[in-house]
Amino acid sequence: MKLSYRWLERHVDLSGISADEVAVKLTLHTCEVEGVEPFAPQLTAVTVGHVLEREPHPDADKLGVCKVDVGADEPLQIVCGAPNVGPGQRVAVATVGTILPGDFKIKKSKIRGVASHGMICSKRELELGDEHDGIWVLPEPDAAVGTPVAEALGIQDHVLEIDNKSITHRADLWGHRGMARELAALFGRVLKPLDTSLPESGDAAPIALRVEDERCPRYLGLPIHGVRNEPSPLWMQLLLLAVDQRPLDLLVDLSNFVMLDLAQPNHLFDARRVEAGIEVRAAKPGETMQTLDEIERKLTPDDLLICSGGAPVALAGVMGGEASKVAADTTSLLLEVANFHGTTIRRTAARIGLRTDASARFEKSLDPNLPLDAAGHLVRLLQAIQPEVQLPARIADAGEWTDPSSEIALAGDAVRGLLGVELTDEQLAKRLERLEFGVQIAGGVLQVAVPSFRASKDITTPEDLIEEIGRSIGYGEIPGKRLIAEVAPPARDAQRELGRRIADRLAGAGRFSEAPGYSFQPESLTVAAGEQDAAFVSVVNPVAEGDSRVRRSVVPALLQKLAPNLRRCSEVRLFEVGKGYLPEHRNERGEPREVRELGLSLAVDRAVAEQRFDSGALARLRGATEDLLRSLGRAGIEWSKATDDLPTWSHPSKALELSGAEGRIGVLAQVHPQVAKNLGIEADAAAAAIDLLALQTTPQGASSYRPVPRFPGVKLDVAFALAEETSVGEVTQLIVQSGKGLVGSTELFDVYRGDNLGAGKKSLAFHVVLQAADRTLVDKDQAKFLDRLERTAERSGVELRRG
Amino acid sequence: MTTPDFKALEAEAATRVSAASDDEALRAILREYTDKGGVVAGLLAQIPTLEPSERKGFGQSANALKQGVLAAVETRRGELEAARLEAELNAGGFDATLPGAALDAGSLHPLTHVRREVEDIFTSMGYAVLDGPEVELDYYNFQALNIPADHPSREEQDTFYCDAEHTLVMRTQTSPVQIRAMETLVPPFRVIVPGRVFRNEEQDATHEHTFHQVEGLVVGEGIQVGHLTWTLKRFLAELFGYEPKIRLRPGFFPFVEPGFELDMSCGFCDGKGCRVCKESGWIEFCGCGMVHRNVLEAGFAGRDDVDVEKLTGFAFGFGLDRLVMTRFAIDDIRQFMGGDLRFLKQF
Repeated sequence: MKLSYRWLERHVDLSGISADEVAVKLTLHTCEVEGVEPFAPQLTAVTVGHVLEREPHPDADKLGVCKVDVGADEPLQIVCGAPNVGPGQRVAVATVGTILPGDFKIKKSKIRGVASHGMICSKRELELGDEHDGIWVLPEPDAAVGTPVAEALGIQDHVLEIDNKSITHRADLWGHRGMARELAALFGRVLKPLDTSLPESGDAAPIALRVEDERCPRYLGLPIHGVRNEPSPLWMQLLLLAVDQRPLDLLVDLSNFVMLDLAQPNHLFDARRVEAGIEVRAAKPGETMQTLDEIERKLTPDDLLICSGGAPVALAGVMGGEASKVAADTTSLLLEVANFHGTTIRRTAARIGLRTDASARFEKSLDPNLPLDAAGHLVRLLQAIQPEVQLPARIADAGEWTDPSSEIALAGDAVRGLLGVELTDEQLAKRLERLEFGVQIAGGVLQVAVPSFRASKDITTPEDLIEEIGRSIGYGEIPGKRLIAEVAPPARDAQRELGRRIADRLAGAGRFSEAPGYSFQPESLTVAAGEQDAAFVSVVNPVAEGDSRVRRSVVPALLQKLAPNLRRCSEVRLFEVGKGYLPEHRNERGEPREVRELGLSLAVDRAVAEQRFDSGALARLRGATEDLLRSLGRAGIEWSKATDDLPTWSHPSKALELSGAEGRIGVLAQVHPQVAKNLGIEADAAAAAIDLLALQTTPQGASSYRPVPRFPGVKLDVAFALAEETSVGEVTQLIVQSGKGLVGSTELFDVYRGDNLGAGKKSLAFHVVLQAADRTLVDKDQAKFLDRLERTAERSGVELRRG
Repeated sequence: MTTPDFKALEAEAATRVSAASDDEALRAILREYTDKGGVVAGLLAQIPTLEPSERKGFGQSANALKQGVLAAVETRRGELEAARLEAELNAGGFDATLPGAALDAGSLHPLTHVRREVEDIFTSMGYAVLDGPEVELDYYNFQALNIPADHPSREEQDTFYCDAEHTLVMRTQTSPVQIRAMETLVPPFRVIVPGRVFRNEEQDATHEHTFHQVEGLVVGEGIQVGHLTWTLKRFLAELFGYEPKIRLRPGFFPFVEPGFELDMSCGFCDGKGCRVCKESGWIEFCGCGMVHRNVLEAGFAGRDDVDVEKLTGFAFGFGLDRLVMTRFAIDDIRQFMGGDLRFLKQF
């Protein structure tokens, strides 16, 4: 919302206080001021000129050559095409060098051979209106020649831009008078009186009103006769222009002016269109009406209509009807000033997408006392402009409204306690009284009378009053206070700590990059990851079509991020600790189950993946995950081949399950080739999904250490030839068994397949360390071990390759 | 037989040793003089042929020759080693611009870095860190926060709704965890809640539909406005490493009363006014206020162990994304979720 400084001055004496000071005061005590701009700086850039003479142009019939005194030594010669320019006029002159709106710089020129040193401006060139059939003859015939026009006419102004959000709770601040009242309190000035009483009226019967809907608590109707619809006076136009309202004609401007002045929307009907009286009712299903913007609106019973003779003439609180609007020939009016239910108006405006200045005010819940003031104010303004205007009948007042004025008991100690200020009850009362609250003090309690303009919505509780006191003091005056409480460590959040350790280990030793993804999973990704048949929480109003699903798992987005990064590097390792939602599991309150998940994705160039038996994505990811679990003290988690209940992105037969005592903790798998293809992953890729809650509840292994061997061990390498189906795990078992307790460790270091082994065969090679706790091993131990190993292996169809 | 000229022999050996240019040559000399069948052995073999009176002197001289050779070789070795070391130290060919071996290290997200700083500062001040659901009940996100069904601020928040009945929403703020905290904790308590929030906004370089907030809530007896300002001032001082000026001004949030906007002095211009602070000298940091009575009533409803009448509290909520963007001079918020390693690996 925009405020004109000069407009505010109509209501409060701001002498000695600049617009910037007003802005700072409002910012610190009332609402947010987003900026202060001078109004129409072009009116300061142009100079008052006195037209001395106008001669015809020697070469052009329509042009005149003027001599204009602009206070310089010599009058300026200006060529001007306006028909209405003539000697004696005071005009606005843009001298050479002046820049007018639209970045239009005035230059010395020659027009049909005659030199011209400037321009005499029309209203349109000064952005004061659309008139351009002549120059603007200044309304002050004695305006001081040579001074800036704004100064000479006394119309310098500043515009304050108020952040609407900061006054949503203050219905009273949506007009200049309300803001002026606030400033009067803040600066200790007096609000100027405003006579809003209705002038004498004739004896004709008041207009017939029927209000059938409680969503219209009050409706005033007042006929006004003897009106001429002409341009509004310049002073009004300038104030409207300052707050970005385009002047149209007197009646429209007047209605707007009153709304912007008192924050009370109102409407002027052409009386000829509402002769049947006024009826306020709910719209019927399917009913339509054409609003002033010439758009046909479809209505529902949620909307409130102003009707005459059964037909809608206005959409209540939002916009008037096209058929009943005032026109150039309007001479009799019906003034409507009403109070409507805020939520109703807000809903209608939102539903039809038409948020007007009026609806924005009604939705704040206006004071039902205000309409009568607004009616009186409008009539008095109109009569000041057109004294012949008459009121044939008394104002009609319908609707069942109650005065919202209220009383609130406020304990002085509650104020001092919450704000931490040392003020007496009397000082507190004074603060409130300045803001027009009535206060009676009795026994440490302030009985506060809340005026209706604050009580309609804003002030309902003692805390609301504490806020009034706090902001009137200024929160900057409240000293900071050390927060003292018992020293007790805050409760530790095991999941959060786990998440932090996971991220640290993965980003450190694991060399993974944390890559969080959106909670919304696009349709395309859902399909690519094979999740199209899964249930999703979905938003009904997504940012974009197809972006409505809330992810179940963090993994699909991590898979999606592989391909773009693979264009630039041969290995990509990503992780996220995040949340997914499973709508098929809901609690009694309807909340979907939340999964806190660690997701990992890893892709490696195929050529690199094939270098060794453990260079592939799955082996790399498994190694990193094993290291992670070890670092978390969860080395006891079992790995096994998983076949059932796999994620859709998982390869059906190359999948591993991690399980603890309570069952599955997660899945680590090769990425399904189809999913990889869908996502453009032209590399070896694997991923993992680990449930953090399951991981957290898996008990940590014993944290005691294993002693370092005191006696030297023996290192040897063994290789086996065996059938392809026999697993590394089985062979490791054979080695351990054959050691009879002496095998300290085994490490697979080569897997070989080749023609010399024969089809369906492979070779495995291990480093083995033999180790005894009580003695140094000798060659004989090694020989015995190898003999046993050879025999045991043979029984299992595995050949120990000697030499 | 003639007595050999031991002096000449020693001199010859010394000359050869000092001429040796490497260890190989020195070892050859040693072999020649000291091995079986070498020069010294040959001399000693002559002893039985000597007059008994000469034997002792001859033997001593031969041994002296051997010792002399050994000593000379050792000395020469030292010289050669010193020369080698000297040469190594003076060798050129060092390229100071040769890069180190690439580690291809991992990385934590910039949001994680700053979020952890925030968490650590508040935990050091005795705050617990809480978490709450991103898919949230309307009750927690709005109703219990004093935002009833028809409240205008619901529309301004551009809520994503998860069902036609609007019972579930993508939380628009971390504030619902205020209620969840009140439902489970026993006052006095102080908590922060970092987390993801959602608003239906068009995305551009500075706007996201998904962003991050940190909520703070302190509840107890006698909590005042001054406690709020002191706390946030301490926090900002820890976070930025200097103590900014702060100011509170009225701000409207339905779940606090009184409600404030907290501004901090602009760190770019030291409060003098610049492009960053739009010439005001102040930067909006967060919304905050004293917890609304209705919110306390809703949060502690049905709790026999809590006398809600006696309680007051303060709450605040600030955006994390803007802090991170300022910290690292990131100009496009969309990078956060973009997953580009060229971005992620910088942190």
